[in-house]
Formats: sequence, structure tokens, C-alpha cells
Amino acid sequence: MKLLTKYNRVNTITTVVVMLITGLIYYQAISWILTRINDKDLVVEEKEIFDYVQLNHQLPQTFDSNDQRIVFTSANAGTVTREFINTVYFKKWDRDGRHKSKHKHTGEYEPARGLISSVSVGDKYYKILIIESTLETEDLIRLIFTITIGVILLLLLTLLTTNRLILNRLWQPFYNIMKELRLFNIADTREIPKIETNIDEFEELNQTVTAMTAKAKHDYKDLKTFTENASHELLTPIAVINSKLDTLIQTENFSERQSKLLNDLYGAVSRLNRLNQSLLLLVKIENRLLHNQQQVNLREVLEEMMAQFEEIFQDKNLKVDFDVIDKEITASTYLVEILLSNLISNAVRHNYTGGQIGIKLTGSQLIINNTGEPEALNNEKIFTRFHKSSGSEGSGLGLTISRQICENFNFSLNYAFQEGNHLFIVDFNGA
Amino acid sequence: MKILIIEDEAGLRESIEEYFSEAGNICETAADYSSALSKVNLYRYDCILLDITLPGGSGIEILKALKQNNHNDGVLIISAKNSLDDRLDGLNLGADDYLVKPFHLSELKARVTAIIRRKSYNGSNLLVFNEITIDLLAKDVKVDKTPVKLTRKEYALLLYFIANKDKVVSKNAIAEHLWGDGIDMANNFDFIYSHIKNIRKKLMEAGCGDYIQAAYGMGYKFSGG
Repeated sequence: MKLLTKYNRVNTITTVVVMLITGLIYYQAISWILTRINDKDLVVEEKEIFDYVQLNHQLPQTFDSNDQRIVFTSANAGTVTREFINTVYFKKWDRDGRHKSKHKHTGEYEPARGLISSVSVGDKYYKILIIESTLETEDLIRLIFTITIGVILLLLLTLLTTNRLILNRLWQPFYNIMKELRLFNIADTREIPKIETNIDEFEELNQTVTAMTAKAKHDYKDLKTFTENASHELLTPIAVINSKLDTLIQTENFSERQSKLLNDLYGAVSRLNRLNQSLLLLVKIENRLLHNQQQVNLREVLEEMMAQFEEIFQDKNLKVDFDVIDKEITASTYLVEILLSNLISNAVRHNYTGGQIGIKLTGSQLIINNTGEPEALNNEKIFTRFHKSSGSEGSGLGLTISRQICENFNFSLNYAFQEGNHLFIVDFNGA
Repeated sequence: MKILIIEDEAGLRESIEEYFSEAGNICETAADYSSALSKVNLYRYDCILLDITLPGGSGIEILKALKQNNHNDGVLIISAKNSLDDRLDGLNLGADDYLVKPFHLSELKARVTAIIRRKSYNGSNLLVFNEITIDLLAKDVKVDKTPVKLTRKEYALLLYFIANKDKVVSKNAIAEHLWGDGIDMANNFDFIYSHIKNIRKKLMEAGCGDYIQAAYGMGYKFSGG
């Protein structure tokens, strides 16, 4: 849920609830006040009757006014208690009859307030009923209520609109920072720019993010420099070991055991060397130091590679299905050779004797597939550094390097497993 | 032939010196920039092995000094820097070849031999070893006038062996020379065996002596004559 939505939801609910409660209190207060006014009127009327009776010793004449009626009924003494009641008032229509044409009735009932009281005239005891229509009051309340509701709705609408407008604008710096973060690439030289905002929180966020990314970049660069320097420093001792081994085997008379040991040493040194070269290469590709690009005809490179691998294919008795067309790409020949050599080496290394390799080059894709383990490989893991299948003699960097090379040229490198074949697909259009 | 080894790393320098010291070869060494510069200014060599990173200066400056004085010594740069720019810089300045550390001594020897062969070109492209005659331009091999048909790799291997004659060449070195170090088929060099068998068979069928011997399962040695 978006912050704005959440905020609006809470805001709306609180506003409505508060408004409803105030509306209710408001309504109660107004009706209470208006009833009190009514009651006062009734009491005034009652007092007038009492005054009249005291003065004239008889009941006053009663007549219906528009909103008021007084009824006297004789009653037994002491049976009437004085009280206010809610009742109805039957209102007769005017003689010219505004509503007569519509209805057969001669009037209509209206809500009313009544006062029951009593008076003694001589020895007679009367019950007084004073009824006053409260229609006007009800109308007033209704009007007030309508206006209140209207105000609530207007207020809500205004709140929602302004919130939307203001919050969207207020949060803009935040979204800008988010966008920058999404674009952030640790290997890139691009920095997170300063975002224009006068809101302290966002300013602080911007500063923190800028500082954090700068630090991450700096650390990453340090790490790369370290890798490069370490690998470089390793080259000389490896060179010395290599040359000493070459010198050592010139001394004659080795036992079988000694030559076996020497062979293992050679193997280990060459692995160490390859690993080191791979690390150096990886740093270079990531630093985009190998930028000299030219037109490369993939078919020619692949054919060259086939000749290079010929004996190796033969040795493992691999059947190679070679199906390529002319395809020019803009890339560094050096890197393309490494990429193809890595992929083909893998296809050989993870194959079984008598297996198959397919190399297919179309206008948009290069697919290298091979038979091998009957199960699919883990699509994500195989491209990570130093991920090796059990028993693999490789450096564990081959596919990482291959993918880096592809990214360098905006190609994509993906793995798929189809009908027992492991497919590595280079897509020249990226995606 | 006369060779100058300019390399600051003692272990490597001594190994190279030992590998190149044989009858008819004179090896001199220099371990830093100033001694190297004074040697190249005083004496002429068939080939100079030049390390780039030296105490006291850059090997590139030595190369520049050589070219300024119009000295025609062969120069092979041996460097730990494996970048195309460095390589191109070196070659543009007039170096004959560029070899990246670490390398096999046999590879170094083959490269140096090739440089010297090119430098001392005297109207003949023929390399003769006993009854084997190799036309380096046409890339064909004859044994006592009998042509031997070798594949591209077999030809390269024969040249490699001749350059390293009387030396044990490890299988690793052969694999790297023929297939490049990009092809890391690690420890499985069975295919080299069949390769050697083929070349041996072809040469012997043409009436050539058996010069290639297996050396303790570690490599091969080309010797004879």
C-alpha cells in the first residue's frame, strides 16, 4: 500500500468518525435548546391561563392559532400531574387550501410539544393541554444537519484533493532518490546526484544515500585494486616456480615416483596460474579496460576455434554438430575468443566420452549445447564466482568471466536444459 | 649466440640463464635499470630479454634508448602485465615479441630462437637439423628430400622441439604452446601423446631418425645429431 493511500485512508476514516460524532452532539444540543425554547413558550402560555383565571374566575376562550392549541377538559381534582410531552399536532389547512386539491384530508399531523397542567376555576377542576407544533424546529434541525453533512463532504473532498496534490509533490524528492538508487551500479562511475529539496528529512536521506553509495563504491574499488595487486604480486612467484620446475626436469634420472610428483606440481602450478589470470581478467573486464572494439566475424573465430579444439574433441571422441552462418559483431576480438573458448571448453569438460556438442550460430543467437550430466544445473549458481560442479578441474571463474564479457557488449548469456542437453545461449540483442 | 637477460627477480633470472647456457651461447645478466642501460650501450646482443618493471626505471626506456641509437638487437619483452595496450606499446616501440609471465622456459627459448633466426636471415629460409630440412617460409618439411606432410600443429611442434633440442619439454609447455593457455584441459594431456606418436611415425616413415623420446612421463626430449 502506498503511503499516500494509507494516509488518506486513516485520515478519511478519522475525519468521518469525528464529524459523525460532532454531528450527533450538535444535533442533540440543538434539539435540546429548541425543546427548551418550546417548553418556555408553553410555560408562558400556562401562566397566561393562570393569570386569566385568577383575574376573571373563568376559563379563557380557546381558539386555534396556526401552531398552537389549548384544550380544557374537566377532571377530578388531583388526578392531573404536570408534565411535558412529545405529541402530534393536527394542523388544519388554510381556508384557501394550498394542499386541498391533492388530498381529501382537511389537515395534517405535525410533530409537537405539549404541556399537561391543571387549573381550578371555582370548585371545578380542569386539565389543561397546551400543544405547540415543533415543525419549524424540526425544519431548522434538518437544515442545520444538511449543512453539516455538506460541510463534512466538502471538507473531505478538499482534504483528499489537497493531500494528493501536496503529498505527491512533497514526496517527489523521495521518489527521485529511489530512482537514483535503482540505477545505482557499484561498478559504475556515476554518482548519486544531489536532489533539490527544502525538506530536512529528504535532504538527510539524500546525504546518507550519497555517502553510503560513495563508500560502497570506494570499498568496491579498494577490493578490486586489492585483487588486481594481489594477483599481480602472485605472478612473479608463479613464474619462478614454473621456471624452476622447467629447470628441475632437465636434471636426469627421475624415478617413476618423482616424475609423478613433478607432474602433479606442474598441474597445480598451471591451475594456480590460470586462476590468477582469470582474476586479473575479471577485474579488467569489470573496469572496462579492454575497450578496443572492432568488427569481428564470429564464423571465422569459431572456425579457428574448431581447429584449435580438434584434437581435444577427438581425444574424448565427441561428435560435433557445427552449424554457423556469417555474423559480424562489434566487440573486442580478445574477449570474444576468451568467451568462445570458455564455453567450448566447458562443453568438452562436462561431457562424457562419445558425447555430443552442438555449435549453432544464427543472426541473433549463438547456442552451444552439450551432453553431460542428466540433470539441469542450477541456473543462478553456475554464473557465480567459484561455483564448481563436483570433480570440475576448472577455475570456477569461466562462466563468471563469460557472463561479464557478454554484459560488456550488451549481450546476454543464459543457460537452459533441454532433452538431456545443456544449452548456453548468447543472445546478441541482450534481453 | 649472445643473450642479455634483464630481469630483477633473481630466481627467474638464474633459471633463464641456466636454461640458455649451453655450448655456443653466451649469457649476460642485469638486475636493475642502470646496469642494464650501461650494458646495452656498450655491447651488442643477438637477443635481449627485457623485463618492464625494473628497480630504478622502466624497461620501456631501455627499449627506447636502443632504438634511438639504431641498435638492431632482438628484443623480447617479458612482462607481468598482460594488457593489450602494454603489448602494443612494446611492439610499436620496436620489440620483436612480448611474453607474459609466467611462462615456460621452453616457450621462451622457442621465441628467442625465432627472433634470432629472423634477425640473422641471410637469404635462406632453410632450417636444417641433421636429415630434416624445414622451409620456414613455405612451411614444409623434408627428410632427405622426401616431403613429409605435417598438420599445422605438428609443424609447430617440430619447430618447438628443434628450438629446445636436448631439453626435456614438459607436457604442460607443449599443450600451452599448441593450444594456448585459454584451453585449460587440466592434467589431461593424453591427446598430446597421440599427437607425438603421429609426428614420430610420419618422420620415421620418411626415413628420419627417432629423435623424440618420452622423458619419465613428464614430457618429451628431442635430441640427436
